[in-house]
Amino acid sequence: MGALIAAIVVFVVGGTLFQYQEGTKLGVFALTCACIWNGFFNSIQVVCREREIIKHEHRSGLHMSSYVLAQMIYQLLLCLAQTVVTLIICSIAGVKIPSAGVVTPWGLLDVGISILLITYTADMMALMVSCIVRTTTTAMTTMPFLLIFQLVFSGGFFSLSGFADKIKLLTVSHWGMDGLCSIGRYNEQPMVAVWNMIVGFKDLDVFGYTPLKDMLIYVEEHGYRDPFLEWCGEHNQLPQFAATVENVLHNWGVLILMMVVFALASVIALEFIDRDKR
Amino acid sequence: MVTLSNVLQSVYWELLDILLFSLGLWMVLGKLKWKQRWMAWIPDLRFAALGQCIQLPREGILVGVMELLSFVLGSAFKGIEAEKLSLLVSLATLILLVLLVVYRLRLYVRLMRIFGMKKGWILIWFLLDWLVLLIIGFGKKFQPVELPKPEDWEAGTAPAEISGAESVHFRPPAESGLSIDLFERTAKDFGKTRYLLKDISLDIPNGSLVLLLGGSGAGKTTLVNAIIGYEKAKAQVTLNGADIYKDYAHMKYKIGFVPQKNLMRGNDTVMQTVDDAAELRLPSSVTTAQRKDRVQEVMDLLGLSAGASGLVCKKSGGQLRRISIAMELVSDPELFVLDEPDSGLDGVIAKEIFSKLRAIADEGRIVIVITHTPDRVIDLFDKVIVLARDSGRVGRLAFYGSPQEARDFFGKESMEDVVMSVNSKEQGGEGLAELYIERYAALAAAAEGGAAT
Repeated sequence: MGALIAAIVVFVVGGTLFQYQEGTKLGVFALTCACIWNGFFNSIQVVCREREIIKHEHRSGLHMSSYVLAQMIYQLLLCLAQTVVTLIICSIAGVKIPSAGVVTPWGLLDVGISILLITYTADMMALMVSCIVRTTTTAMTTMPFLLIFQLVFSGGFFSLSGFADKIKLLTVSHWGMDGLCSIGRYNEQPMVAVWNMIVGFKDLDVFGYTPLKDMLIYVEEHGYRDPFLEWCGEHNQLPQFAATVENVLHNWGVLILMMVVFALASVIALEFIDRDKR
Repeated sequence: MVTLSNVLQSVYWELLDILLFSLGLWMVLGKLKWKQRWMAWIPDLRFAALGQCIQLPREGILVGVMELLSFVLGSAFKGIEAEKLSLLVSLATLILLVLLVVYRLRLYVRLMRIFGMKKGWILIWFLLDWLVLLIIGFGKKFQPVELPKPEDWEAGTAPAEISGAESVHFRPPAESGLSIDLFERTAKDFGKTRYLLKDISLDIPNGSLVLLLGGSGAGKTTLVNAIIGYEKAKAQVTLNGADIYKDYAHMKYKIGFVPQKNLMRGNDTVMQTVDDAAELRLPSSVTTAQRKDRVQEVMDLLGLSAGASGLVCKKSGGQLRRISIAMELVSDPELFVLDEPDSGLDGVIAKEIFSKLRAIADEGRIVIVITHTPDRVIDLFDKVIVLARDSGRVGRLAFYGSPQEARDFFGKESMEDVVMSVNSKEQGGEGLAELYIERYAALAAAAEGGAAT
């Protein structure tokens, strides 16, 4: 399931991923969403479907922290496998992952760690939901809302302001996207949006002339196109996407912090399991 | 841009909010005749006072502490603009705010009950709590529905009528054996309180094998769950003098409960399932070798050794019941409760299991069994509990005594006939539940009176 989702996403947006700023942003957004989707599906039902068993075992002496820790280890292995599969699919689809990493010497490893952290944090969030709700039906009803929340408040495609801009700091997608864009060296990539816009107006007629078309031909013939795209990219740099070790580690750290919070919330929620009544 | 006038304005509003809330609370505490009313004027401490007053002390203290924390975090949030820190603070504040709302609502719901307010008020509580407090505090219409005895209240102790379980005066429990004094067990059904069980009082001596009988829906499983503290009722249940409810964390290890459902994971093997259960239930002082021996012993006893490596999901219904029993039996519990342990088992295996349960009881333990086919093994039992549904469809005690006394009381030869006599006519029974409940209550009262004189 996870592999299929990753394959669909990567085959659609993988061509321009890590090539141009626009492609990177779109691709990273789609990849992050796929990771979150995978993470959610891994654990959204695992606890609530055996809630009666856990309640019975809790009565027999099972510590909820032990139970959650066991689930965390299992889910980590699952997320690790999904990360490997996603990276294999990326390489099959021809995604050009930067060879040099930001934190480690290998770009593939940096991307892998980011994908793992995004998937695992989403997994922990779903685990928390699974610990809070009592039935699988409720869990599955909650999931789309969580997903929409992650997509809307990621800040990837909707410009957020005010309180909404603060809320995005609480989403896995936001920190995941920032991390992947930093590793993908977004700020060092060319920007094609301005060029494409000009190309869209190339047939604009001005008193019988097409000056934009002539200019575009001139720029291309004299090899000014790539420097122009790079120049555009330089003017579209974003500080949160800077390819620095501090930046990436900050993003990873926040994801790990969220993971810990979700795990603690899971334990706390399960500590009240004895209050369940038929 | 933060200006002095903005800051002053927000301070004025906060002060006004605190003052109005405190005034309302001061009046409410007065109506409840709470002695330390002055505490209403101290931020954060006022919630502790309210909690103490309405018998939710833990919630009151938690709200007070969380209010203080959220104030501190809120201040930190204003002061620190760095994104890194504000995220941490906002995360913590968000979690805190959710908890704060939940616990505050618990306090308000209790207050609403005390003042007999309708549920619709909760929304106003949620938005403008100070306003509701002022309305209750100054409104003559709002008076405590169950006003406590002034002398108790002035002394600072909680009124029995408000506190719930404390309003019931349980009889002194027996020093040994299982003592059950259940006042009521209720359940919420779409906001309405539904009574499941009421007035069940009995003592079971150690070393008894007890049969729990009753028609479908009489409350057998509910009673068992209440006895073992699995689903608590308004009751006092003691095992050899120790209160199961109050000391549940400790007592749960002394109780083995085989539920009606087979609660186990289908993807584990039988051996893994029993071994995991043993690891959970046995004390940490037990060595791995001892545990393995115990597991093997129980597996042999229940005939599970042959298919020990098979997956649980591949087992038949009878085998699943035996695995369920093995999971609990492995820890040698003091009180062993089994909900239909013989369902799906053939007669020979069922008799074998009951013989084993008899042997467990003979070791001084109390074994309570629910079964729908009691007559084939009735000679093994020491006591019989008969539950029946009264006209209000509430489970009540229709009989408690030895099997022979049960035969005499109901005038029936078999236990299945006893169940039929208390079952409703819709269930194919004789519909005499009400008669036997009253007769047994009178009998028990007479016996109690006799014992007292």
